[in-house]
Order: sequence, then C-alpha cells, then structure tokens
Amino acid sequence: MMADATTPGGGLLVLALMLPAVGMLAIFALGLRHAERIAHATLLAGLAVALAVAVKVGQSGQAMTYLIGGWRPPLGIALQADGLSAVLMVMTAVILCAVGVFARGSFSSPRDGAETRRPFVFWSLFLGLWSALNCAWLARDLFSLFVALELLTFSAVPLVCLDGSRETLRAALRYLLFALAGSVLYLMGTGLIYGAYGTMDIATLHHLTRADWATSLALGLMIVGLMAKAALFPLHLWLPPAHAGAPAAASAVLSALVVKAPFVLILRLWFEVAPQPASTPAGAMLAGLGAASILFCSVMALRQARLKLMIAYSTVAQVGYLFLVFPLVMGSAAVTPWESVGWTGGVLQLVSHAFAKAAMFLAAGLIAEALGHDRIADLGGAAKAVPVTVAAFALAGLSLMGLPPAGGFIAKLMLLTAAVETANWWIAATILAGGILAATYVFRVVGSALAEAPEGAGTTAIARSRELAVLALALIAVALGFLPLQPFDYLAIGRGGMP
Amino acid sequence: MTAAGLLIAASVALPLLMALACLWPAFRDRAADWLVIAPLPALLAALLARGGSIVVAPPPLRLTLALDDVGAMLLGGAALLWAAAGAYAGSYLRGQPGLARFAVWWLLTLTGSLGCFIVADMTSFYLAFSVASLAAYGLVSFEGSTRAQRAGRVYMALALLGEAFILLGFVMLAIGAPQGNPLIRDAVALFPAAPLRDPALALLILGFGLKMGLVPLHVWMPLAHPVAPMPASAALSGIIVKAGVIGLIRFLPLEAALPGWGATLVGAGLFTAFYAVAVGVTQTQVKTVLAYSTVSQMGVVAAVLGAGLMTAAPGTALLAGFYALHHLLVKGALFLGVGVVMATGPRHRKLVLAVMAVLALSLAGLPLTSGALAKYAVKPLFGDGLAATFATLSAAGSTVLMLHFLRLLGGAAKPGAETPPAGIVWPWAVVALAAFAGPWAIFGGATALPLAASLGAKALWAALWPIGLGAVLWAGLRVLRLPAVPEGDVIVLADRLAPVVARAGDAVEQADGWLRRWPVAGMMLAGLAAGLSVLLWAGS
Repeated sequence: MMADATTPGGGLLVLALMLPAVGMLAIFALGLRHAERIAHATLLAGLAVALAVAVKVGQSGQAMTYLIGGWRPPLGIALQADGLSAVLMVMTAVILCAVGVFARGSFSSPRDGAETRRPFVFWSLFLGLWSALNCAWLARDLFSLFVALELLTFSAVPLVCLDGSRETLRAALRYLLFALAGSVLYLMGTGLIYGAYGTMDIATLHHLTRADWATSLALGLMIVGLMAKAALFPLHLWLPPAHAGAPAAASAVLSALVVKAPFVLILRLWFEVAPQPASTPAGAMLAGLGAASILFCSVMALRQARLKLMIAYSTVAQVGYLFLVFPLVMGSAAVTPWESVGWTGGVLQLVSHAFAKAAMFLAAGLIAEALGHDRIADLGGAAKAVPVTVAAFALAGLSLMGLPPAGGFIAKLMLLTAAVETANWWIAATILAGGILAATYVFRVVGSALAEAPEGAGTTAIARSRELAVLALALIAVALGFLPLQPFDYLAIGRGGMP
Repeated sequence: MTAAGLLIAASVALPLLMALACLWPAFRDRAADWLVIAPLPALLAALLARGGSIVVAPPPLRLTLALDDVGAMLLGGAALLWAAAGAYAGSYLRGQPGLARFAVWWLLTLTGSLGCFIVADMTSFYLAFSVASLAAYGLVSFEGSTRAQRAGRVYMALALLGEAFILLGFVMLAIGAPQGNPLIRDAVALFPAAPLRDPALALLILGFGLKMGLVPLHVWMPLAHPVAPMPASAALSGIIVKAGVIGLIRFLPLEAALPGWGATLVGAGLFTAFYAVAVGVTQTQVKTVLAYSTVSQMGVVAAVLGAGLMTAAPGTALLAGFYALHHLLVKGALFLGVGVVMATGPRHRKLVLAVMAVLALSLAGLPLTSGALAKYAVKPLFGDGLAATFATLSAAGSTVLMLHFLRLLGGAAKPGAETPPAGIVWPWAVVALAAFAGPWAIFGGATALPLAASLGAKALWAALWPIGLGAVLWAGLRVLRLPAVPEGDVIVLADRLAPVVARAGDAVEQADGWLRRWPVAGMMLAGLAAGLSVLLWAGS
C-alpha cells in the first residue's frame, strides 16, 4: 500500500522508535546507577505502545502510516505498520519485557553506588537493539532498513562479549566481520537498485521492478547478504560461538529476535520488491539451503556437549524452516501470498520460535546458574533444583519439536500442509525429519535434567520471579498452538494494494 | 453442555490436573498413592456417558470430545486397568527412588491414552496419541539400567518415526477436508475419494501399525514392555498398544470396501500373529514371552480390521474393539499376575497359577472363557477362505506360546516368598475378574451374534481343536532344541548400523568445522550471491 498520508495515531510509530532511544539517552544523562530502573520503565512504556499499535491496526483493518516531516515517499521517508509489523512489534516487546525481568538478577547495579560497566553497557545496548528492531519492522525503504540493520548489528555485537573473556571477544569479532560482509553485499544491491530505478521506497519499487540482470544481481546480493546476517547454513560460522558465549539474557534476544530481522527483510524483498512471479529455481535454492540448515544443524545440535551450544545450533536449524516458505507460497493456489497456508505457517514459525527460543536460552541460563555448569550429560538434579525452569524448557522444547499443543506444531503443520498441497515432497520429508531430530535433542536434555543429582552436588537458589519470566515465555509459545489452522486475516492487513 | 459431556471432559481433566499438581513438591511426594483415582471419571464416563459429547473449543479450533460405542468399550476397559495398575504400583513400587517421577510419567501417559478413545477431532487425536506415546518413554526407561536405557532409546526412536508417519498421513487426509481442524468422522468420510488416499492410508497403517507392533515394526515392544516395572508393563502391553488399534478403527474408511488395502492388512496381521509366536517360544524371560504374545494378538486385531475393510462389513469397528478389549483385560491381568506369582509362597501358588493358566489360555480361545467369545465374535468376518483357516490356526499358535509362558511362570517364584501383599493381590484379582466377566456382559451390545450359539457344540469344537493342536505342537517343540533369539529379534540388525550412524555424525561434525573456516565461508558467501543472482535472472 502506498503511504499517502499519516494515519490517525501514526505518531505511535515514531514513539516506538524513539522511546528506547530516549531511554538510552536517559541512562547516559541521569547517572548510570539508574540504568536498570530506566530500562524497566522504558520497557513498560514500549510494551504499551506496541500493544496500542497492534490494537489500532486490528480495529481499523488498515496499515498505520507516519510520513516523517510530512513528505510523501519516494521523496520522504515513511514508517508503516501492517499486520505483520504489528505482530512483530508486540512479539519483540513481550520478549524484551520478559528478558528484562530475567536480567534483573544478572546486571543490576551494585548497591554501594559504584557504577560498573556491565549493567550500563547491557541496558543501553538492550534499548538500542529494541529501537533497531522496531525500525526494521516499520521502515519502508531500503536505506532506512539498512540503517536499522547496522544499528542492530552494532547493538548486538557488544552484547556477545559482555563478559570480556578472550573467547567471547573472538566470537564477537567473528560476528562483526561476517555481519559487515553481509552489510556490504546488501549495500551493493541497494546501490544497484537505486541506479536502475532512482528510488528506494519499497511500495514504489513494487510497481517498477523489471526482471532484468541488474535487478536480479541486486536482489541476489541483498538476499545473500541478509542470509549471512540470519546465519543460514552454510553461512552460520559466526552464530554458535556468539550465541553460546553471550550471557543468557543476551543470547535469548539474539537468537529469538535479532536473526529474525534479516529474514523479515528477505520476505519483503522477495514478495514486495522482486518482480512477480518470482523465480522458481531461486525459491527452490533458498528452500534447499533451509532444508540443509534444518538437517545439518539439528545433527550438530544433537552432538553438542554444552547446553547453550546445542540451543545455538538449534537456532540455525529453526531459522532453516523459515526459508522453506518461498516455494510453498509460490506453488500455492491462493490468490495472494498472504492468503496461503505456507506464508502463515512461516510467520507463525518465526513468532513461535522466538518465544520458545527465548525461553530456552533463559532456562539454560538459570540451569547453569543453579548447577554451576551447562554440561548436558551432568544436568542431573536440575529438575529438583529449578523445577519451574525445567518445565519451561520442556514446554519450549515441545514447540521446537512441533508437538501439540504448541505454536511450533501449528506452524509446522501449516508448512507441512503447504508442502503436500504443492507436492514438494522433499520439503515435507525435511520438516518431519527435522521434528524427529529436534525431539531427540530436546529429550536428551530433559531426560538428563530429570535424573537424580550426583552425590554432593551443590546448587544455588534462583529468584522465583526469574523462573516465572521464563515460564511465561514458554507458555506463550505453547498458547500459540491454540491458533486455528488457517491463514489469519490479521497478517494480511495493509497488504491490499499488493497483488 | 450436558452432564455426560462434563463427565467425558473430566476423564482427561482429572489425570491432567493431577500431573500438573506434581509441580508442587507436597503433592508430588504423595502422588503415587493417588494413582488409583486418576482414571475413575473415565470409568464412570464409560458406564454412564455413552453417546455424550462436548465441544471444548468451538470452530475453527473445534476441539471436541465424544464417546461412541467402541470408544466407551475401550475407555471402560482401559480405565479399569489403569486404576487397578495404579493401585498395584502404589504397593509394588513403595519406597523406590524416583517414585514421584514415575507418578508424573504415569499420569501423563494415562491422560493421553484415555484421551485417544474419546477425542473426535484430528488435532486432539494427534495430541492425545503423542502424549501417550512420548510420556510412556518415562515408564519404559524408569529403571535406569543399561537395558532399560537401550529399550527407551529404541522405543523413542520408533515412536517418533510413527508420529511422523501419522502426521503426514493426517495432513494428506485433511487436504480435501474443510480448512482448519476437521472432525475425524468428516475427514474419514471424504477419505475414499481423497486424491492422496493411497499414500495417506499407507502412512496411517505404518504409524498405527508401529504402535500395535505389526512385524517388522514390532521390535521395540519385546524390549520396552518387559523392562518397565510390572504395573507399567501391564499398562503398556494392555492399554498403550490400543492407541494404535483405536487409531486404525477411527481412521480406516471401514464403511467403504477397499479390498486391496484390506487384504494387505489381513496378510500383515496374520503374518505378525505367527511370526511373534515363532520368536516368542524361543524366549526365556516370562515378561518377554508376554510381550511377544501382545505382538501376536495385535496381529490378529489388524487382520480383523483388514477383513472388515475388504468387504465393508458392518460392525467391524465394534468387533475389533471387542477383541481388543478382551486382550486389554487379559494381558493386564497376566502382567499383574506375574508379580503376584513371584511374591507367592508354595501354599497359595497352585491357586494363583490356576487362575493364570485360565487367563493365558483365554488368549488362545479356551471354551467358556471370554477369549472364546472374542474369537467367536470375529470369526464370521474372515469368511471361510484361506484367511479364515489361518485365523483359526493362530489360536493354535497362541496355545503354544501360552503353554511356554506357563511353564516359565511355574519356575519363576522367588525363594522365600510367602503371602503376597494385599496391595498387589486385589488389583490383580479385580482385573482378572473383569477379564472373565466383562466380555460376557457386553457381548450382546458389541456384536449382533446370539450368545447361546457360542455355547453350542459346534462352537465349542471349533474353539477346542486348535487348542488341542497347539498342545500337541508344544509337546513336540519341547523335544527340539530351540535357537536363542535375542529380545526384539531383527533389532540386532539395527545395532549393526550404529557404527555407520556414528561415522555419519562424525562426518557432519568435520564438515561443520570446515564450513566454519573463514576462507570457506567467504567463498560460500560470494558463490551463493552469484548463484542466487543467476537463478533469479534465469528463472523469471
């Protein structure tokens, strides 16, 4: 839909971008000692904004738009919340709030008043990341999206090396360099597009793009650049050490949210910028990489000895499912992509994985705190020490395995239905095999956690509120399983103008 | 919302709530003492709420529970055995470490298994089936020994494979049905004309056949059933396998004649029935013999369903359900009884062994037992061709296996055993009584056959001669030296694959290390960008 004018309430979108930024500035200005309190206040306000946007979008049944400075695209810059953006905003806000509650223990400022680096860095990056994510969900031109991605990378990388050890510094550097390579590719593609069409506004490009070599090259560069940032196999080299090395609160945000932003951009490029109908072999290639990601990295997850590394590999595998949607949507009989089961399944997979993976990383963090280590083989006694956390881990695992009743089940069932409908049997087989592998690696952990504690193993007590924050995320992942098995009208809001 | 509907909902709600309550340590530590009450709403529902239904969530979710005749029959039997086995477990496992954990797995398995009999929509069926399958892992691997762990692994791997078959089958089945979550009834009505009918049927038969133990998908059963604690073995072998039976009853299009598929199922079922006997007689563990007997009996049930499917015979579902109910109660009583025999001293042994002998031979269709009724009920379905002959001969096979079982059981007493604790005797007695009387009580309702004819001379002779033949065969076999076949027979072939799998895993790990090197990743990045650009250009 072209952004013609600011819609009522459009200012909320600006607020969504600015609130975290203001919170960040406040941390700088008002003394680093209050970092946590400021961040929590910002979280509450930001959650309210996200919910307000989602309600307004649902009520009006139309996308919400804000024209910055009143200039219409392609001259000006527009922010727009369609159904998908609104869902992503709420997802982001809810997960960050839960992580905020969880992180209270880990990064709170010391009582003696001395300002330390860790809480300050963590909370300000945390808010910066949020601003970047909202920008990625709301921006509607290729350059603003580039800015969002860079802001995201620069907020995410330091979170990886927060503890300052040699190992995590190496992981962060790896992450930074590879993300940078991705950015370069993306930027090259953007340049090509601008050279060919003289605009970067997605809605304008939608009607302009031609199937020529320059456009193909531009899209190829941008999509692969984004794939590197999403850590799709075989470009996943940076993710396992980075996500496993970060503190649990950061890992959760990185795995649940940060890798999703480049994927959402790929979705927008594919369905809104690329000339339609998009290339079938290219779609098959993306799905093929997704399938390889699922199988290869699930096996890798199965072979990890450390819990956090296992979860990190599982993220690469789960991101693979998202890339299956391209052939499923293109082959479907639905009139528009948003009405197909495949697209809905893909979005639901994104959302349910976000909640489940956040819960899992946080649970792993609590288990590691309680037991003092995260070796999967020696998790015995965890169920006694932190029963609520282990239950949350199991529930989140249910969603990853794709078992009912969990969001992951509905998502995988939709993807499977789409695969059968479009006769993509290899995709159906991959989805099922991925489910079996996921069940195996989750059961391995749960089984180990349920075992009796070894003699003389001490445990550290964990605050109940932190355990409940993890459980809340896992329960949301499960509750998504009660969504009906059909395309949701909400996700199609604001896409009327798109053929 | 009717009282019947609420009672049906309570059948799964109570055990589920009890499982959730185990999150509180105060309840968890005493949960094992309360297992007996968990299935009581289901038992009441089976007696009082037949024909009732309740919509838990309206369309498009359409979560629906309904209790039809065959569902009520199996629900009642299963609830009775769950209750008795639960009481038995409280006494049998008293003081064992990890009892609380056992109770949690028990309650979850119970919830799922009872749910299978009453859910009416496809998603709920998959949910109930999965819960029963996966939670049973905790019962299988409870003892924690190497043997139990191996059984647990094999069980889990095959259960997950079965789930995958069933899920894909469901998706194929639902393609033609209205969007969302169709009722099983509506989806199956469209089944005969569905575009993907044959692959969907194949997948469903594989998935449910795996749960029932159709050869060669039976390999987990002789590993898993014996290694669980006695009451759990009774539940696994008596009840959990019936999740596969109810799956076939619900999802086979029994009202449309599919001769090809019917014949396949008859063939697979009868082959299973004989194969399991042949392997079973070589076994030396009492419980393993019983597990093979379950495989054999489930083969007969599959053959019954296949025979019905061939001709769209009316009442097939009820007849198969009736046979399954008989097996459920008898096998439950046999497993519980093994524990009783082991705890009984010489003074009362004869009585206990006599009851066990009648129970065991009931599986072979001993005249005047409920087994004779079950065989009598399903006989007409097979007509009078080759299948009928083999179905009759399977009774001789069962006789051989059961005599083998009784001989092993006779030597299985623990030295120094006295009077068995009352806590394990009365549950066993209740189930044994139900196994004798239950099928007689419901015969008229379940089948359209005259009860009196089953007592006629012709019927008695038809039941008796296979048993005689079996006895002769068994006596003959005792002269022979039988080869030692490992538990789970062909599973040893899978063991040979273990090094191959391990090597493949190593290869994946090496490949990962290689892919995650900088030069390789850089090349990949460039190569993928070039490749995708070309495909985008060439494909549009």
